[in-house]
Amino acid sequence: MTAQSEAETVSARNGALSPLAVRLLAGIVLLAIWELGVRAWAPAYVARPTGVAAVLWSVATSREFLIATGDTLSAVLEGLAIALVAGIGTGIAMGRSLAVDRLIRYYVFALFAMPMVAVLPLITLWFGYTGGARLATTVFAAYFSIVLNAADGAQAVPAEYLEVSRSFRAPRWRVLVDCVLPASLPYLLAGTRLGAARALIGAVLAEFFISVPGLGTYILFNSRSFHHDQAIVAVLVLAGCGVGFDALVNWATRRYLPWYRRDEKPQ
Amino acid sequence: MASRPSLLFRWGLTALSLAAGAAVWEIVGRRTGAAFMAPLSETLVRLWELTLSGELVRALGSSLGLFAAGFALSVVLGVPLGLLLARVRLLRIALEPYITVMNATPMAALIPFILSMMGFGFAPKMLVVFLFAVFPILYNTVEGARSIRPELIEVARSFRSSEGALWRDVLLPFVLPFALTGIRQAIGRALVGMVAAEFFLSASGIGMLIQSGAQNFDTAAVFAAILLITLLGVGLMELGAAIEARYAAWRNVRR
Repeated sequence: MTAQSEAETVSARNGALSPLAVRLLAGIVLLAIWELGVRAWAPAYVARPTGVAAVLWSVATSREFLIATGDTLSAVLEGLAIALVAGIGTGIAMGRSLAVDRLIRYYVFALFAMPMVAVLPLITLWFGYTGGARLATTVFAAYFSIVLNAADGAQAVPAEYLEVSRSFRAPRWRVLVDCVLPASLPYLLAGTRLGAARALIGAVLAEFFISVPGLGTYILFNSRSFHHDQAIVAVLVLAGCGVGFDALVNWATRRYLPWYRRDEKPQ
Repeated sequence: MASRPSLLFRWGLTALSLAAGAAVWEIVGRRTGAAFMAPLSETLVRLWELTLSGELVRALGSSLGLFAAGFALSVVLGVPLGLLLARVRLLRIALEPYITVMNATPMAALIPFILSMMGFGFAPKMLVVFLFAVFPILYNTVEGARSIRPELIEVARSFRSSEGALWRDVLLPFVLPFALTGIRQAIGRALVGMVAAEFFLSASGIGMLIQSGAQNFDTAAVFAAILLITLLGVGLMELGAAIEARYAAWRNVRR
């Protein structure tokens, strides 16, 4: 961010503005820096705010763009859903059984730490240059962070809850569904948030690699043909998805898990 | 967990897990075609060959250089800017939402722009690693800045605390643990950025090793390179977690 000095002058002039006004002003300053910087130093094809604004409507309503958006987002959501179902199962098994934990923790952590883009060539070997390869990438990207968080959550269930359910002779599955699952929800939400971000990156990188239709491919082709303004619109949609998903998870945490303090969040 | 299993049980399971993993890898690798998956034994042989020929060391050196350059840049720019945001409240309020947005945006989407504007040198690749890494650092530092209650700074000022003392006793202790969390998160992202840059900008380092292996259907080399980068990832993440645990012990640190 190169806007610090500019924003400081703003602060000097307006000591008593509301936060919203300060933020809007800062946004305008940042856009102005972008615009003027590109006009002064960059070649004409480089994207700038006025150029993006000029093409925004026509791109956002074009058939090609809408299809690309739908393709990428459905792949991310589908991959995330698969990763969630599989990841919660694996994670809770890990968290509740020391044997399972000992057996698979190293693998889960190693695959979590591995940059998922590294396996793209392998995934194309296995799935071909298809949408299936992109889906596999999103599942792979999201799965391990969900497993690790679900395992942490299942481990963090207060011991008293388990003791009470044991003294009432609750069957194992009731303990899982009524005790372990709700208690690990905050961790699951944190894992889902992380997994969604990784799945989004995975989908974009997979599209760069395999060139199936989608937002990543849209960006790639338009930036290659020097239509940077058009390509930026796709970046904006991706940013919107990232922000939107974060906001959704944060909202769900506040709304449904008010007892959960944010500063204790795992990850 | 109520009962504490014996040491033998725990390490026995770990050994079992490693043996089972190795066996599965070997068997699946042998059952499927060579173009599909390489068995563990072949992977290790190939890893050894690549080490002997010096290819692996060169690739690792090139990748680590790229990682270090981009990561260092993101720390050197990200942490001081984060501290400045902690000190100047208005600046933090102004920039906070934009940092949050950038942190949630998949930076991978910017790679084609960087390619078409900056071409194939080292600088564009370093920029990619930097962009992947800097926003988690900024984002977390700002969160640390938000955790400083304004009264603390006011009290310090009313006791005529010098600017230096204010930084030493209030700002740094509050912000640094958060910055370290950001740095730890940035390690994982920077690794992704590193491989992405090596794939999609000019081919180099471990990324090139993986890609040329895949193109020549030398699956053993692909697996060898992936094994290497996984070890690198685990090592760097453990390092980040260790640093965080060492210097931010008082803040509830998890993995």
